[in-house]
Amino acid sequence: MTSSDTPVLHELRNVVKRFGGVTAVNDLSMTVNRGTVHGLIGPNGAGKTTVINLITGLFDVSSGSILFQGQRTDTLEPHRIAALGISRTYQNVRLFSGMSVLEQVLTGCYLGRGTSLFASFLGTPDARRKWKASRETAMHLLERVGMADRAGELAETLSYGEQRRIEIARALGSDPKMLLLDEPTAGMNHAEASEIGKLVHELRDSGLTILMVEHNISLVTEFCETCTVINFGQLLAEGTPRTCIDNPDVQTAYFGKKRDALGL
Amino acid sequence: MEALLDFWYAYSATLAFGLVNSLFALSMYSVLSAGILSFTTVVFAAVGGFAAAQMMGTFGLPLWLAVVIAGLLGGLASAIIAALFLKLETHWMALASLALILISRVVVLNTPSLTGGVMGMVVPVRASVLELAVLLAIVSLVFFRLHKSWYGLAIRAVREDAAAASTMGVSARQIQMIAFLISGVVGGLAGAAMATTLQYISADTFYLGVAFTMIASTVLGGSFFWFGPIVGAFVFTALPTITQAVLPEIQDIAKGVVLLVIMIYLPRGLIDPRARGLRKAARQRQQSALNGSDAVEARPGSSTAGHAHD
Ligand SMILES: Nc1ncnc2c1ncn2[C@@H]1O[C@H](COP(=O)(O)OP(=O)(O)O)[C@@H](O)[C@H]1O
Ligand SMILES: [Mg+2]
Repeated sequence: MTSSDTPVLHELRNVVKRFGGVTAVNDLSMTVNRGTVHGLIGPNGAGKTTVINLITGLFDVSSGSILFQGQRTDTLEPHRIAALGISRTYQNVRLFSGMSVLEQVLTGCYLGRGTSLFASFLGTPDARRKWKASRETAMHLLERVGMADRAGELAETLSYGEQRRIEIARALGSDPKMLLLDEPTAGMNHAEASEIGKLVHELRDSGLTILMVEHNISLVTEFCETCTVINFGQLLAEGTPRTCIDNPDVQTAYFGKKRDALGL
Repeated sequence: MEALLDFWYAYSATLAFGLVNSLFALSMYSVLSAGILSFTTVVFAAVGGFAAAQMMGTFGLPLWLAVVIAGLLGGLASAIIAALFLKLETHWMALASLALILISRVVVLNTPSLTGGVMGMVVPVRASVLELAVLLAIVSLVFFRLHKSWYGLAIRAVREDAAAASTMGVSARQIQMIAFLISGVVGGLAGAAMATTLQYISADTFYLGVAFTMIASTVLGGSFFWFGPIVGAFVFTALPTITQAVLPEIQDIAKGVVLLVIMIYLPRGLIDPRARGLRKAARQRQQSALNGSDAVEARPGSSTAGHAHD
């Protein structure tokens, strides 16, 4: 494969997703380049979350294809896609009930555990070493999102913003190549959102490719190098955030006529 | 003296059934903790029970060898059943497992050369309470280790949110397959333990009554930690003995009432690790709310109290 020669890491080709009569994604093509932060934006119900679910294999495409590093992934099961190096967070935080903060992130480290389930059950010296290493990775990730001091607490008792950060740490546990963030700053104030933006940039600088769904346009211009705008599941514009926002179709679809009200 | 012996007899029988029922409950817990409601344990137990009875009765094998074979055959049965069942949606699986119990009863009744048919089988060997306790201790050790391993983490993730777990690379199917295999082995052991405790087994031994005891024990004790089903099994087994001593007429009602009370007031059962975390968080909230109001008193107009509630 020539996958490492091209700048393209991830690609959607003419992807269609129908739910009964509703076409949530309609003939959408989109590319994400290595080492960039790519924004996926559009009004509510545009099909952004559906795209993330298609990429991670939670939904099957109705037609079209999805490629990661030149390999088709749209026929793979979700856990296989995860193993290729795609990780994600959820718009409506989906942490595991009953688990501590550390356990959540450890679960995220499952793919990189480096030992078999059986060896881990037996508690072989190697398995124990690897378990300790995973714990350290998890603690390190929690430090990274500023949650290390809450490691032992039940995650569901923490605030929404804290849970979002735990989810990002969990998604990083598998040491992915590409991270999908579905509205990571929803429900956060500006300072918290900027923290996430900083983290996203640090991650990109360490070589991660990020696709993020973001509602807040000023954050998109701040965070993303390139973006794709969709509406009714269809491509509306693509390019730099600036060119997208200046596109008249985007303005009517996304902002209505109230561009001034947004202070842009 | 006579009364004392009678008491020990009743007491040791209850203990023995508590141990046996613990094995049944753990077998059911194994799949339930993977998010699967299945009563197939009864079928695994029938396989293990009749196999153990044959091994000891017809072939004269020693107790422990018969028990091991029963476990292996239970595991084999579960591999076949899981391959068919894991294609079904979970609520259909529950129904299919009940159907399987009905079918297996008919099979037991119609294969007299293997099971004694309508006559049932007499089991010539009796397991002592100590032997049953050793068996349960070994099985408990397995569940203890499982809980502490990557499997333990993965199965909790699968149960709480299988889709989210799959995006972390956890194959729900693989985890549920393992859960079924463990359920099968433990179910087979439970069947053998039942056979050597009752010393007489028939088609009715492995039927809906056991399925009820099993689910009741697991719900009562809690299905979120391996110790729960054991506690539930002992409470549920001892309950009739206690009510019999106090009010013999109502023992069936008492069983039902206890189960209902638990489901309404303690839906997660007696043993619930999550409850501890919730209590701790509630305590912390209370504490920080207190500290917060102190701070407000000390510095009027400060907003610490507001943050404390976030
Ligand atoms: N599981 C589903 N079943 C049926 N319709 C769905 C499902 N998921 C999403 N949709 C529909 O697809 C459209 C796009 O939804 P979504 O991708 O969640 O939008 P966005 O994330 O951009 O707000 C909506 O009309 C929604 O109702
Ligand atoms: Mg969405």
